[in-house]
Amino acid sequence: MNMRLGAVALLWLWPAMAAVNDIDPNKTAGNPSAPVTIQVFSDFECPACKALHERTLPLLQRDFVSTGKVFLVYREFPLPQHAHSREAASYATAAARLSLYQPVADALFRDQVAWSTNGKVWDTVAGVLTPSQQTRVKAAAGSASVLGEILRDVNLGHAVPVTSTPMLLVSRGDKRYPVSGTLSYEILKSLIDDLSK
Amino acid sequence: MTSPSKTLRAVTLVLRILLGAVFVYAAWTKLRMPWELFAMEVDSYQVLPLKVVELVAHSLPWFELVVGLLLIAGFWLRSAAAAITLLLAVFVALMVRAYAKGMEINCGCFGPGDIISWKTLLRDGSMLAAGLALTVLSFLRRRQATAR
Repeated sequence: MNMRLGAVALLWLWPAMAAVNDIDPNKTAGNPSAPVTIQVFSDFECPACKALHERTLPLLQRDFVSTGKVFLVYREFPLPQHAHSREAASYATAAARLSLYQPVADALFRDQVAWSTNGKVWDTVAGVLTPSQQTRVKAAAGSASVLGEILRDVNLGHAVPVTSTPMLLVSRGDKRYPVSGTLSYEILKSLIDDLSK
Repeated sequence: MTSPSKTLRAVTLVLRILLGAVFVYAAWTKLRMPWELFAMEVDSYQVLPLKVVELVAHSLPWFELVVGLLLIAGFWLRSAAAAITLLLAVFVALMVRAYAKGMEINCGCFGPGDIISWKTLLRDGSMLAAGLALTVLSFLRRRQATAR
């Protein structure tokens, strides 16, 4: 019951919260005042999220983020059935504190098959960090602040609601559209073009 | 009028109003959103080429609306009932295929957030059964009318 009330409250407060309070600036790309905002709810252990990260997001960056039309926000949504995705999200969020979210996220998705099988998430993360960065990321990954940020993303995801990953929440002003599935880039491009007008 | 034919008429009325309302609602959930959202849901089944996906995304909601209204109004009942049954048979077949393949996708039935599960299969399967019953009943009624 409390969870339901919380979800209703989050839904009610969503537009204001999503606009200002809850965005980690180190997990964003593009101009915050871009007409369209896309929040990416993703799980590092989900194969479709890997496909989105490696195939669709680079095109989105090229066509819309770098041109100032889209503001991209990365959200963690580790699914309970994935044994290592929360750990991966912790490292990525901790790395974001050092402005290293992108290289760590790239590495985690690149080596997804390996670490999701052998559980050696840290080996992948450490591979793209210097020794001093490794120390700081490892320390931050277990902090209440990082874990709280992930929990907040998950709660926001439940309020959308995120029914499968990856899910993009495409919004312009009060209008917001959850987009999931295989995400054909041509169709996504058409949607953003229409919203940008 | 005999009692069985009264019952037949009542059942037909209930089924066509129910199915008609469901189809009008389904159309409304799609038409109130940008067409691209429905296109992505159609595309996620991975059975149609992109051009056909776009065509379906533009036309299917309007078709659902027209057929739903025809059912509610009772015009061209046999054709509308047969069309809806055929449509539901295609939807259910595609959903069963996706479910069997373990695809975690939205069914695309009533807007976003309606991921395919045994519940959606049961719901759409029930609608297919209702559509089949309505089609049979509407043809039976026609046969009775011409026999008189």
